[in-house]
Amino acid sequence: MAHPRPIPRVQRRAALAASGWIALAATAFPGGSPLRWIPVLAFVTLGPGLALLFPQPGGLRPGARLEALALAAPVSLSVATLAATALFLAGSFSLVVFLVSLAVFVSVAAVLPGVPLPAATRGAVEREGTRPSGGFRKRRPGEAR
Amino acid sequence: MPSPATPRDAGGRETGKRGVPGRESGGGAVTRRTGPAALRSPAALNLAVLLLAAALWLRALPSIDFRSIEEFGLLDRFPLGFYAALAVLTFGFVLTLRRAGTAPLWPATYCAAMLVALKAPPAILYDTVRYAWASKHDAIISRLLAEGTVHPGRELSGGMSAYDQWPGFFSLDAALVRAFGVDGAASFINWAPVALGLLTAPVLILVYRTFSDDWRLVWTGVWIFQLANWVGQDYLSPQGFSYLLHLTVLAVVVRHFVLPGSAGALRDRSELDPAAAAVPPPTTTRQRAVAVLFLLPVVATINASHQLTPVMLCTTLFVLCLTRRYRNLGLLATTGLIMLVWNLTMGRALFLDTLGTLREKAGDLLGNSRPGFAGDPTGPGPELVGSANVLMVLALGGLAAAAVLLRRKLARSALPLVLAAAAPLPMFALNDYGGEMIFRVYLFGLPGAAFFAAAALVPAAGAASRAATIARRTAAVALPVTLVAMLAGFLPSYYGKEGMHYAPPGETALTRRAFDRAPEGALILAATGAFADSYYRYDHYERWFFTEQEVDENLRMLKDPAGYLAGGIPAGKPAYVILTPTQGEAVIGEGYLPEGGFDSLRQALKRSPLFAVVEESPHGLVLRYRPTTGG
Repeated sequence: MAHPRPIPRVQRRAALAASGWIALAATAFPGGSPLRWIPVLAFVTLGPGLALLFPQPGGLRPGARLEALALAAPVSLSVATLAATALFLAGSFSLVVFLVSLAVFVSVAAVLPGVPLPAATRGAVEREGTRPSGGFRKRRPGEAR
Repeated sequence: MPSPATPRDAGGRETGKRGVPGRESGGGAVTRRTGPAALRSPAALNLAVLLLAAALWLRALPSIDFRSIEEFGLLDRFPLGFYAALAVLTFGFVLTLRRAGTAPLWPATYCAAMLVALKAPPAILYDTVRYAWASKHDAIISRLLAEGTVHPGRELSGGMSAYDQWPGFFSLDAALVRAFGVDGAASFINWAPVALGLLTAPVLILVYRTFSDDWRLVWTGVWIFQLANWVGQDYLSPQGFSYLLHLTVLAVVVRHFVLPGSAGALRDRSELDPAAAAVPPPTTTRQRAVAVLFLLPVVATINASHQLTPVMLCTTLFVLCLTRRYRNLGLLATTGLIMLVWNLTMGRALFLDTLGTLREKAGDLLGNSRPGFAGDPTGPGPELVGSANVLMVLALGGLAAAAVLLRRKLARSALPLVLAAAAPLPMFALNDYGGEMIFRVYLFGLPGAAFFAAAALVPAAGAASRAATIARRTAAVALPVTLVAMLAGFLPSYYGKEGMHYAPPGETALTRRAFDRAPEGALILAATGAFADSYYRYDHYERWFFTEQEVDENLRMLKDPAGYLAGGIPAGKPAYVILTPTQGEAVIGEGYLPEGGFDSLRQALKRSPLFAVVEESPHGLVLRYRPTTGG
């Protein structure tokens, strides 16, 4: 698959993969400091969702970008909630375990292809009886008609 | 949805191709304009209006006299500049709609600005947690952090064990408290309405864009949603959070779960309203299965966080299954199964208890749709709030119904939204949810209602008939007038009972002292639980909020308050009474007691030999029960 701008995409994936570890490092700042809560909040609110939705080999189509941005926060917060709930249910919650588990999740998800929601990959019509061809075929203009 | 057949590489070149004069890029920047011409551009006007509103708002903010709230809440404490800022924002928003299709960031900015202007003042100004139930959630988060785990099987007084059985949202908050390195959720709790609003709007846009290509309609729907969302469920709460997730599921479903071959005539442009969007492309079974997997964490989080939202979600998915377009039994079954598993494991105790009460409450439509526990609110402030609430519901319902009837083609293509709005109504037949059901049904019906209310106010562009021209001219006046009227309805509904929601630090300190003074296991009495810190260290005490019952019973209690309370205190139980000014506001606002009832109660308890004054100040009265003396 041709990647017209491979470097920015690699950088984006790398930034996503690093975001959790940066958030973890930010917890070294004193409690309540903006240098601490802003990166942590940004990571917990957006990291997992963006890692799941954004890395599309063909890049996101314009309409799907809005979708990825809108869904990133609810999906991220869901993943974070499940992680925190599991840790509290097990009675083993600690800040480091919580952030490391999310950071690992995001790092892995960032290097894998994004979830192939139709709008993100093709947004195209799949006629009855047809099978998606691997998921990442580029949409041709007018295909959606 | 993406504009039809827009090539992947359209981007900036599209502007030149279409040659629309003064067309702006998505970022709102003016293209190729310099000097005086740039100052006269729509973007410059939008910016100027926004800056004017911001200046008025910032100037008004320090003058909001929240420390001396009387019977009209913040309504008569907001300075004129505050109202002017909101009016200017409304005016500016209507202006941005003229170019909403080409410069969508401007209406987006105005929507965000309105959200902040409406809901940020308490977050910026208040020195305590706003809203009694938010402070209750603060207490739950504090306990979770102190205990390090939950005890779903442990019985706690006042139904508090439910929070251990649905701990999802509180676990997230507890994790955030630790991650931010702050003492408790109180440090960020008042920002929740702003944060939830900012996260909800994009999801709402996704839903609306699925059914309309007209950005004016989409943004007006979002604006109306914000103004009509006065029911106060946007504080730091499991239901506020779950609501965002519920909308997320709805957005993914309407966009990615269209069955092949189900669109029929809706693929024919001539069968669609000019503002309607084409039905999203159908998806294969595999694509829908991927989407179900994608939604699993979201659905699981809803179930781990809240009791009612999963039921609302299943109901919504069920009514969508009634359409050929969204008959996704697999998703419905998966969602239902997750709900059942949670209810039979973690939430087993409350689930079985609720099933038991269903027998007596099911079918009692009038009883289940009654707001609150008691009678009508008393006093001019609460009465104004009550009237504003009713008018808001009527206005929104009237506009939405008019659009459904007058724009039948739009209603047909957006049928899933109509059904989603109507889906919660059967809940009235099941349960009253502690007097809250009417507000929850309204809230879950709101996204659809706001969309169609917007459709009533934003007629389709382009049609050249005489009727269409008249509709457009009427809407040019009706839209700003209605938005201002809805703003006027929002403010009393949201801020009209603020005396109940703001407690000065002295009052919360008095409450905490009273709790700390009481021995472990003591019974704490208060007129109502609707006061800050009423659930402070809740697992160490039992509570009795004695006016939260039928009004007739309260009138009986007022004849001899001390004797009535003494009769309800178990023998040998140490008991304390806390009465604060916030409770005085709440019993009037909720209609528990008649006007003057709280003061007479207070005086009677002070006079009674059964109770000894422990502490008294303008912030409240604390009494200790002394059963051996006199009586």
